[in-house]
Amino acid sequence: MRKKKSLLEMIDDLRTNENIVNWYEMPPQEAKTRPMPESVDPRIRQALHKRGISELYTHQETAFRTVTAKENIVAVTPTASGKTLCYNLPVLQAIARDDTSRALYLFPTKALAQDQKSELNEIIDELGIDIKSYTYDGDTSPAIRQIVRLAGHIVITNPDMLHSAILPHHTKWVSLFENLKFIVIDELHTYRGVFGSHVANVIRRLRRICKFYGSDPVFICTSATIANPKELAEQLTGSPMRLIDDNGAPRGRKHFVFYNPPIVNVPLNIRKSSTIEVNNLAKEFLKNKIQTIVFARSRVRVEIILSHIQELVKNEIGSKSIRGYRGGYLPKQRREIERGLREGEILGVVSTNALELGVDIGQLQVCVMTGYPGSIASTWQQAGRAGRRHGEALIIMVASSTPIDQYIVQNPEYFFDRTPEHARINPENLIILVDHMRCAAYELPFKTTEAFGPLDVTDILEYLQEERVLHRHGETFYWAAQSFPASEISLRSASQENVVIVDQSDVAAVKIIGEMDRFSAMTLLHDEAIYLHEGVQYQVEKLDWDHKKAYVREVDVEYYTDANLAVNLKVLEMDRTKDSRQAAIHFGDVSVNMIPTIFKKIKLTTFENIGSGPIHLPEEELHTSAAWLELKEVDPEIGTKSLEQLLLGIANVLQHIVPVLVMCDRGDVHVTPQIKAAQTGLPTIFIYDHYPGGIGLAEDVFKRFDEVRDAAIHLIRKCPCKDGCPSCIGMEIAGMNGKRKSIQLLNLL
Amino acid sequence: MSGGLRDKLERLRAHAASVKQAEAAAREADTAARAEADGGVRAAGSADESRSIGADAAGSEVRNGMTPAGEEGTGRPASACGRGEDAFADLGAEEVRNDHGVFLLRTAVYPLEHRHGHYLLEQLPSYAAKLKPVAARQNKGRTDREEAEPDAIETERLLFLDTETTGLGVGAGNVPFMVGIGYADLKARQFVVEQLLIRHPGEERAMLAYLLTRFAGRTHLVTYNGRTFDWPVLVNRFVLNGWRRSGAEPGHLDFLHPSRALWRNTLPSCKLSRIEEDRLGISRAHDVPGALAPELYLRYLNEGDAEHLRGVFIHNERDVLTLVTLAIHFGGLLDGRLGAEWALPEEPEELYRTASWLDANGGPDHAERLFAALIARRETSAERWLLPTAGRYKRLGRLDEAAALWLRAAEAAERSVLPSFEAHVELAMLYEHRVKDAALALRYAERALELAHRKPLSARDPARGRAEREGLAHRIERLRRKTNAPLAR
Repeated sequence: MRKKKSLLEMIDDLRTNENIVNWYEMPPQEAKTRPMPESVDPRIRQALHKRGISELYTHQETAFRTVTAKENIVAVTPTASGKTLCYNLPVLQAIARDDTSRALYLFPTKALAQDQKSELNEIIDELGIDIKSYTYDGDTSPAIRQIVRLAGHIVITNPDMLHSAILPHHTKWVSLFENLKFIVIDELHTYRGVFGSHVANVIRRLRRICKFYGSDPVFICTSATIANPKELAEQLTGSPMRLIDDNGAPRGRKHFVFYNPPIVNVPLNIRKSSTIEVNNLAKEFLKNKIQTIVFARSRVRVEIILSHIQELVKNEIGSKSIRGYRGGYLPKQRREIERGLREGEILGVVSTNALELGVDIGQLQVCVMTGYPGSIASTWQQAGRAGRRHGEALIIMVASSTPIDQYIVQNPEYFFDRTPEHARINPENLIILVDHMRCAAYELPFKTTEAFGPLDVTDILEYLQEERVLHRHGETFYWAAQSFPASEISLRSASQENVVIVDQSDVAAVKIIGEMDRFSAMTLLHDEAIYLHEGVQYQVEKLDWDHKKAYVREVDVEYYTDANLAVNLKVLEMDRTKDSRQAAIHFGDVSVNMIPTIFKKIKLTTFENIGSGPIHLPEEELHTSAAWLELKEVDPEIGTKSLEQLLLGIANVLQHIVPVLVMCDRGDVHVTPQIKAAQTGLPTIFIYDHYPGGIGLAEDVFKRFDEVRDAAIHLIRKCPCKDGCPSCIGMEIAGMNGKRKSIQLLNLL
Repeated sequence: MSGGLRDKLERLRAHAASVKQAEAAAREADTAARAEADGGVRAAGSADESRSIGADAAGSEVRNGMTPAGEEGTGRPASACGRGEDAFADLGAEEVRNDHGVFLLRTAVYPLEHRHGHYLLEQLPSYAAKLKPVAARQNKGRTDREEAEPDAIETERLLFLDTETTGLGVGAGNVPFMVGIGYADLKARQFVVEQLLIRHPGEERAMLAYLLTRFAGRTHLVTYNGRTFDWPVLVNRFVLNGWRRSGAEPGHLDFLHPSRALWRNTLPSCKLSRIEEDRLGISRAHDVPGALAPELYLRYLNEGDAEHLRGVFIHNERDVLTLVTLAIHFGGLLDGRLGAEWALPEEPEELYRTASWLDANGGPDHAERLFAALIARRETSAERWLLPTAGRYKRLGRLDEAAALWLRAAEAAERSVLPSFEAHVELAMLYEHRVKDAALALRYAERALELAHRKPLSARDPARGRAEREGLAHRIERLRRKTNAPLAR
């Protein structure tokens, strides 16, 4: 039998691999520590000592001191740097000192909350102090709920639960709110975009309620590395923050490698598929029993890679030890996978960014990314999954052909030298703000003098009064409607209703296997779509749009499906303009109409198009904010057909560049070119927020357009292809010097 | 406010426009329907006018000023509510002022001779004490009470309570705008219904303060679903108004649970109105449905017309009276009235459920009579209850009685298309272990297995059916061995 290679041997082998375009080595870092503060309760001191903690890392010690002095903090810490002690220590200390003290922990997902509870309870067990910590989420049984409300010292929950179950029922949580000393917000960086804008408003509601009960809790936030942790924390909590970033945790040696698949078609600059390369790389590690995590960017991609890898290694290791992990799996399944990874039963996992978050899956040795994850912050988060404290670790980013991937592997300094992105939220988005004011008024009457964020909200209160949602008496607005407003508002997406996925393969045992938000379902769960779940293929037999159910049946086919979405845009209002003779950039409101049109069937092995079909779904309409680029004067030599292609090419580049620059998920901002815009008839490219009312992304593009344009030009110029390839402007445009002309057009702006 | 904000919001929400249109259409249809209902209410109201509103058949005296001690004789100050004010006076509601402000109180006094449905209010004192086991069960293990569950239930220490709220659920934004309470004054031979109403949210504190004075000295709140609805909603209001601890927490006598125990399957629903009509002899032909109360109150808030609340007052007043009727009914059951001056339930299922409820609530002797009546029934629909009744006798060690019922149940099973084989199994066990007649036991066991095979496996839990069949097969095997043994010897 072949001898298994060690990770070090494999790293050495890789050094001679010609596809490696950049090798970045991060030296190990020694721990920086300070003695345990004198004031720490002896019982806590002893319990920590038992777990091998007798000193604190510098950031932990600073956090403890600052929080104890009642200052809000945001601690920026990489994965596995002992960040939980930044909040657990001051919280446990406060409860040890005063049994009435209460703390509320917020995690972005239920999984993280569960994780934290187990960790916390381990420490508490050793303390010998009667401290009760509970998770409070949709899975908590009614009997336990009562206990949590009355007696929980530490309540661990998520923003959704806070929004829909705790705040509207605050009268049942008197003992929590009267004595709330700390609000812990972990994974702060995940609260951005639409979700973050909602959560900022939920926290405004939380603070109102605390004030009502006479408490003034200290905020303890932790965040992965982003450019503006302090700003984000202040915006999210509405409170001043102290930034703590003196990370003192040790780190093993890390090798961060960029892998660019070989070119298979030189004139078109077409490279070998990154998916195939990832499959092969992962196979090698797994065969040598090296625990590996593979990240892929979409749910579909996760499933494709998973099934390939399972097939590749099935003779050497059981396919059960290679698992998928993504949103849409049921919680129980996820817990089982997490445990399997921690305990080493599971050797490999293929995941979406769902595992970027702090879910405890132990230390993995290798991390393989299928393409650039889309942001610097996210890349570091994923990289942090490999090699936690000691020992060597290998991180391989396999570039895809997309412009941004190619740009990054060819300009590694962009990645390694640049500060990570800004996380942006817009709590003042009118729709979001009004929705949360409804919830807030349900919870406690509004005084006319009362503030809710930085804006004057009198207008909104009066509007709600006219709508007969509020009733004004004297200087107070009271809730005066029959509904329960929190149930009508979801924090996670524009649409409240998710599509439930029903597996009817076994008629006698029909079961629900997952769910998906409405917009994704339009292109992923339409009739005849191939839906992959845990590596199993399902075909959608019927998408019941009215009842939001997709009925699927297990199939075994050689292809996957990919749907097209047709988009129509209309300008509603122009707020700001930067004008020049030949071009203009505008910012304002637009209406977007979306309708999925057709889907293609794409062969799994060769990725060739082997068929297509129509999609029949109703149109969705979205009103949002947009920045749009208008070309007023174009070289008449460029014909309409060519111009259209050029616009498509530029849009392609922008679609990749913009999410990176403004830090948002790819789906949050959309780019659509129009050869003749509806109102002006001019060639126009729209960049819009994919959320009603916008969340500030397009506005950011408008403000920082010079930066966006320069990055786009740079990308096109630096691309090694002859004259256009999927990595930059999409396709070569026959005999027209597309790259040069695209740059010319961009320079007009 | 600026039209700009509205325009903008409407534009942003345009994607929901079609939905809104549909809603608007539905609303119009709804309003039209309600206009009719309203007409009905008003007609009923005006017909009652001569003896003031809300008077049930026998009429009550509506009077003012059940003000808290020391606050008698507060004059009627000018109110902001213009046209609402007169209308309120017309409804018999008067302002009450206390340290916390002002609210409206409407009082109706009923002589104890008043009949509400099948019973007279004066029957309450004789049956209230019988409710002790029900209260004991409902308040068992409660640590939030300031006083322990009292040894006896005293009529005058019961507070009957029913709220009308602005919405559903027990969230912080659901406001009880009307609180109806009732209590007996035996010396004066009266039953008093007080209805507390807030004309706007600013009057809530005053209303709650008054309510607290009415809680004083009471041991139990008598409600229909009050444990999980009315009381938590009120607690919310106390908390929101700064009473962190709302004083002595009363015990509960919530008739929803006993009602479900009795009527869960024999009535289409356990809504109070359904029970009133089908079991308590109360007709509410012209009543405003309770579900409309929130809508009517919100209309009153917006339009200021107190007339919208007329129907709500009547509805709530009758609800409070019905709580008395329920108390009499359940107290009467526990006093053994069924089969005495009260007729036994017609449906065997209800008879069985009533008997079981009595069994569980300290009335085993009365239960005994009901079970006896049940097994005397010969109609097919009674057969289903033979097995569970037999089960009771078995638990009590009365095997002969149980056996007689098993024999009947087994016979019934033989005739059934979808037979149950439990009776056969019971008989097999009985003959094997008690009577020691293995041959007969074997016959029943074999027959049970045949019946089991006739019955298709449950789709939801086929494993259980299979396990039962296996169990039977084992039993048969063992019995065969037993019966063959003497032959072999």
